[in-house]
Amino acid sequence: MKYTRAASSLLLVVGLTYLLNRPLGVVPALGPFLSPFEGFWQNGEAAAKNPFRQLTLDGLKAQVNIELDDNMVPHIFAQNNHDLYLAQGYMTAYHRLWQMEFYARAAGGRLSEVLGARTVEYDRYNRRMGMVYGAEKSLAAMMADPVLKEILEAYAEGVNAFIDQNHARDLPVEYKLLGYKPEHWTPLHSMLMFKNMTAMLAGGSDDWAMTQIKQKYGQEVVNDLFPNYPTRESPIIPAGTKWDFTPLKPITLASAVAPKVAGRFELDEKPEGIGSNNWAVSGSKSSSGYPILANDPHLQLTLPSIWYQIQLHGPDVNACGVSLPGVPGVTIGFNQDVAWGVTNVDADVMDFYQIKFKDPSMAEYQHGGQWKKTTSRVETIKIKGKADLIDTVFYTHHGPVVYNEGQKPFKKQVPNGYAMRWIGHDAYRDLYTFHLLNRAKNHADYRKALSFYGAPAQNFIYADRHRDIAISANGRYPLKAKEQGKFVMDGTDPANDWNGWVPAEHNPHVKNPPRGFVSSANQSSTDPTYPYYINWRFAPAERGIRINQRLANMQGATLDSLRILQNDNYNVAAEYILPTLLRSVNIKDLRGDQLLAYNAVETWNYDNGINAVGASIFENWLDLLGAAVWEDEFARDGDKNSLRYPTRDRLYTMMLKQPTAKWFDNVATKDKIETMSDDVTLSFKNTIDSLTKWQGPFDAKTWAWNKTKSTDIKHLAQLPAFSRMNIVNGGGRGCINATTQQNGPSWRMVVALGENVKAYGLYPGGQSGNPSSKYYDNMINKWAKGELNELIYMKTKDDKSAKIIGSWKLVNK
Amino acid sequence: MLYVLILIVGAVAQYFLPWWSMPLVCFGLSAWLANGGKTAFWAAAAGIATLWLAYAMYLHTVTDGVMTQKIAQVFVEKYPYPALMFVLTAVVGGLVAGCAGMAGFFVRQAFAKPEVA
Repeated sequence: MKYTRAASSLLLVVGLTYLLNRPLGVVPALGPFLSPFEGFWQNGEAAAKNPFRQLTLDGLKAQVNIELDDNMVPHIFAQNNHDLYLAQGYMTAYHRLWQMEFYARAAGGRLSEVLGARTVEYDRYNRRMGMVYGAEKSLAAMMADPVLKEILEAYAEGVNAFIDQNHARDLPVEYKLLGYKPEHWTPLHSMLMFKNMTAMLAGGSDDWAMTQIKQKYGQEVVNDLFPNYPTRESPIIPAGTKWDFTPLKPITLASAVAPKVAGRFELDEKPEGIGSNNWAVSGSKSSSGYPILANDPHLQLTLPSIWYQIQLHGPDVNACGVSLPGVPGVTIGFNQDVAWGVTNVDADVMDFYQIKFKDPSMAEYQHGGQWKKTTSRVETIKIKGKADLIDTVFYTHHGPVVYNEGQKPFKKQVPNGYAMRWIGHDAYRDLYTFHLLNRAKNHADYRKALSFYGAPAQNFIYADRHRDIAISANGRYPLKAKEQGKFVMDGTDPANDWNGWVPAEHNPHVKNPPRGFVSSANQSSTDPTYPYYINWRFAPAERGIRINQRLANMQGATLDSLRILQNDNYNVAAEYILPTLLRSVNIKDLRGDQLLAYNAVETWNYDNGINAVGASIFENWLDLLGAAVWEDEFARDGDKNSLRYPTRDRLYTMMLKQPTAKWFDNVATKDKIETMSDDVTLSFKNTIDSLTKWQGPFDAKTWAWNKTKSTDIKHLAQLPAFSRMNIVNGGGRGCINATTQQNGPSWRMVVALGENVKAYGLYPGGQSGNPSSKYYDNMINKWAKGELNELIYMKTKDDKSAKIIGSWKLVNK
Repeated sequence: MLYVLILIVGAVAQYFLPWWSMPLVCFGLSAWLANGGKTAFWAAAAGIATLWLAYAMYLHTVTDGVMTQKIAQVFVEKYPYPALMFVLTAVVGGLVAGCAGMAGFFVRQAFAKPEVA
């Protein structure tokens, strides 16, 4: 009896402890998680945490001083570059360790290792599309450069110093919730961050949708509905700019389309409206006589924020701005002489080739009349709580066969049996571009910096205190024939390959154009005279049109007038098309709320402000109108195939110039031929129905734009408790302030060049990744209102003008 | 006495060692000092519940309770009451401690000489 009792009570406590020491499904291991000695209780952040510290770090060559300003931005003063980047790695990890490691894990296809089977297909896609393969190639290229090698290794040293110094109880709360621990950082992790950006900004494709459309409707319909240049455009390089180079000989394609397509092709279509902007006005347009530069790169908004503010002061550098957690250096920012910023270039740098394999072993494939050997790469995906998944990926000279015949694709638009040719598989010293920009003194330095850049291609805007302004749609562009890669291609014919590159100095660029400003908003890089093919479509022209109109009329520009322009909510599309839409509505068909809503949108001033009911109606109407016109013929989520709609620009042109086009007819209704007016009226009624269903009967309060749009900034692990929902702000996809439900300006910056550079900026988040810190989301409210913080730029570590709330000293043992 | 010892030794052990040092402490101290299964359970449970609650409350207070509220929301999205986390913490800590204390007493009893029992 007493033995049984002893044994059973012992078993009970051992069992209980064991159970509480491991996670159960999504519930974290409750023992360690709830223990105040090591669990989440330790993650609360006291208001004034460590204002003055002295830390000992192995590996430092000399003392480093870090001044923390009142926005928790580190200003790092180091005596050599090694220490500078070591300290950057340390501080970034101090604030953002979980986030940076999570990004690298996601990009490297290693989420399942810590999250279990639910992320296997996501990991598998990233592995199979060659994220790690590309990162390894980039790493080799960068590590061969002694300057970059030192930077990348020092940065990793700094991250690891932070990891090693910390006790389990000090780990970010996400590790405790998800039940894993950080691993050591390596330069490969930094490369994965680059690939992550490349996949995000240059990793979409509509090649398969276009191929299907061409097969279904023929080349003529493609030419008509999917033209290679929009009707309305205000290109980045001002139209009429003369090219200062002799173009290479144009190349021609072999066969336009690959024969038949075996499988289903699924990959994210590039969404419209993740709009980034940048511009710089010359001294002739500014009140100071010096240039002013503005940039607001847009991305999916997340917490912790994608950006981390920092100032880096070393013997040959004093750069300030934002960095990407995991990547050394300042990515967007300024120094005492120059300022730079970026927006994405919609270059077509991902293509698909149909591969003809000799046999199912996939060991050989046909190319140029010969059988060539594939190489194989074994991807081992570790899965928490399960056996490893061993996946073999076959590589042709084009790139990896993302999905073999018969495999079920994870992403839309990846065809089975096709090889992917992607810029992310090529190696460039992109980091060197930022290294040089951080240290640039003049336009020549800027041009030199850009020549090292690979992907994702960006519109690099530039201004300096010598009164030069410039912009370049910069990146590595494959030398393509017209429309090459608009459709999937036959991989057996070498004439379809990517054959060479557009020389870096031929990339679209302009310096000090006569109009007195440069700008970009993801629209077409050039007018149609540019001798190289970059893509058949770019982001809609609307934001570019508005920016260029406003800047053309601007005189005496100041920091504040450019800040106001960043927050411009004017809806160019509405101004252009809404009168036609309203005229086309069959008013006799409208009843009750429909009439009230019609009146509201008719009297709307095209401003997507927070209270605008017209914006709520117009934006939803536009989506439903697109569906009414195109869904019958170009269904985006068809059972078998996903096609894509023609661009909004094409729809507007059709409405204005071809109001009787056959596409307005809904082919699904057999007994009726719909007209443009029918589509417009029907989609208007549907808009009112869906708004009523969603927000109740017509009411200026509940139908206000900020209520129907409602911007959410979600935590990376999708935890609502760590997210900020329903942020009140205006804007919209076609506005300069392109803030939508989940996307928006991820950083806003305005820099006035001059003898003493002055800059303002902020991002929708905060420096700390700790959800309980007051610096976790302290910038969001200001961001929503369109305000900016002054960016503190210290000349020396003892600069008295700065509001410094903490001083750290890092010393070697 | 047992209650106080568990509180003090438990605090020192858990400061340096992982959380599972806590049941070990409760087991050992109860095996040494407890004079009944029930007493062992309650002394250990109360000692650790007090310790965990008090330390949690201290951390909660000096950090304005922001994290407590957010974690409560992670657990029960609709009712993000910090009290939930305090109750859970006390119950989980107390339960493990109590079971460990009881096991400590019973194991000693099983191996003790008859006259002691």
